[in-house]
Amino acid sequence: MTIASVHNLVVKYGNFTALNGLSCEIPEGCTGLLGPNGAGKTTLLKTILGFVKPTSGSASILGMDIIQAGNAIRQKVGLMPEQDCHIPGMTAVQFVAYAGELAGMPASQALRRSHEVLDYCGLGEARYRNVETYSTGMKQRIKLAQALVHGPKLLLLDEPTNGLDPAGREDMLELVRSVSHGKGLNVLVSSHLLPDIERVCDRVIVVMKGELRAQGTIKDLKKIAGQPIDIELRDVCPPFVAAMQAQGASVMPPKRTTYRIQMAGLPEETAKIAMQVARDSGAQIRGFILAERSLEDAFLDAITSTSPPVSTQTSDGGNA
Amino acid sequence: MASSPIADLTYRNYDGPLDPPVNRWWAIAKMSMRLSTKKKGFWVWASLSTFWYLILLAVFYFAETTATATTALGQGNPFFKNIVWKDQFLNAFSVSQLFMLILALLLGAGTIANDNRANALLVYLSKPCSKLDYVIGKWLGIFVPLTLVAAVPTLLFYVYCLLSYRSYGFLTQDPWLILRLLGMVMLPGFFHASATLGVSSLFQQGRLAGATYSALYFFGLFFTKAMQTVIFVNGPMGGESTAPPIVKSLYYCSIDGIQIGLAKIFLHTDGSQLFPGSMPVGVRFAIEAPSAVVFVPAFFGICGVFMLLAWSRIRAVEVVG
Repeated sequence: MTIASVHNLVVKYGNFTALNGLSCEIPEGCTGLLGPNGAGKTTLLKTILGFVKPTSGSASILGMDIIQAGNAIRQKVGLMPEQDCHIPGMTAVQFVAYAGELAGMPASQALRRSHEVLDYCGLGEARYRNVETYSTGMKQRIKLAQALVHGPKLLLLDEPTNGLDPAGREDMLELVRSVSHGKGLNVLVSSHLLPDIERVCDRVIVVMKGELRAQGTIKDLKKIAGQPIDIELRDVCPPFVAAMQAQGASVMPPKRTTYRIQMAGLPEETAKIAMQVARDSGAQIRGFILAERSLEDAFLDAITSTSPPVSTQTSDGGNA
Repeated sequence: MASSPIADLTYRNYDGPLDPPVNRWWAIAKMSMRLSTKKKGFWVWASLSTFWYLILLAVFYFAETTATATTALGQGNPFFKNIVWKDQFLNAFSVSQLFMLILALLLGAGTIANDNRANALLVYLSKPCSKLDYVIGKWLGIFVPLTLVAAVPTLLFYVYCLLSYRSYGFLTQDPWLILRLLGMVMLPGFFHASATLGVSSLFQQGRLAGATYSALYFFGLFFTKAMQTVIFVNGPMGGESTAPPIVKSLYYCSIDGIQIGLAKIFLHTDGSQLFPGSMPVGVRFAIEAPSAVVFVPAFFGICGVFMLLAWSRIRAVEVVG
């Protein structure tokens, strides 16, 4: 099921075009919104929430149009903004409960739920402290808590690990991963940090200069065209390479003792041939894996490519 | 995050009731009032703003007890015979203006400025809460406490006078006084809430907004005093001033002046000296009430401009040109 769909969305700030005909579909689960700084990620989030009016195009979130149903959308969406934000003069528990009341929760429910969410976000001990006295890591957590308090169906996280130390970053990613898997909560994480996205997301949308560059599952995006395989041998073995080349395979120079081999046909067939050749040439195979590129390579490829956006098949068969 | 052998601390989504996503202004107003009334300064200055009524109570009490001993039986107390009751409320209203300013600064100066500093608008506007909800909520959060501060001592004093001085014409002088007073006590809240909201929206620090609003108040006050001097210099004591009418209108062109002017319009009085009886007959220190046709629209127009200013400055994102 699609959580959000965006069609030819154009957003301009004066003469500057922040989103230039962006179209994408955000499926259920945890999706990463990738792009370099200034790509339009935050603008997309703010347009979804109705902070910015699109010049043209349309978008719907949870089946509701962003122009027509701004308030209804914001009641079902939680935003954790990139910047520090809090309401001055409040303790954490007051702040989160107030955020719940603003979202429409009855006051008593909001207070009960704020305790629950603060506990969950690891701020249980600091709940009666004024938010202004919080450290950067705690401020990140309180932003997550206020976004979660009303039980949103879609959580928008804008650079959730900004300004966090390694341990804080680990904790935050673990939190995001846990809420986005098996809890009925869909998450859109905007970041330019690829390891963060790879850690918590199943799918990504790559945006560059306000345009879609690629979208799909991380697994599919990391696939290399032609589906080569990486074969790790015990030692470097020129007879094996020569024999594979004789079979019509292209063999890339080895990294240590690992050769990347590509042949026409399915990877399974290539593997079968490689096993046979290894037996014949006396090479000892230690490892065998379908070659894939890093997410960083896939990302760089997507943002530098001039070809139309890549849209890969999702594992459930739908076009993501 | 925390691990416990008993409790299930894993995340559970909220599936309880949610009110329809409209009219969030009341939640904002409630929270603003809650935060305001938590400030000790609010209670201190609110108490101090009643001091003129306390002085009046004391003066009335002593005037009554001393006169009872000295006045011949059957004669009315001369102090109360000449009194214009509604002018006592007007005087108390005028004297409390400085305290209302301090309270307005305490409650209103930081209301949007501090939210700007803390990026709180991102929190408000990412919830089902519109700009209008935000402005109305914040406005009510200042208006209601200020109005209560003005109304409570006024109404208590009204009840006291009603119970004690009916024989001196308290009720017969103006049977509609209570309604006029209800209108009057809303003026400071209405004006200060609108003006502080507008000024506060221009800044990122409550102190700067407060300093700016104070400067506006005191510059206006000095101007008012200058106009008052012009009026009295051009008029012999007790006679009509020969100062041009525009000067009499300009006398009300300040933050407290416009409120006092409108209070005079509401109360249907030009005012009189603080205590009657001690001045020669015909001596007049009060400046006549301004024109309602000009001042009522001007009052609401100025408040509207400040509200519009606040409304236009509220946005969740900085828009680059």
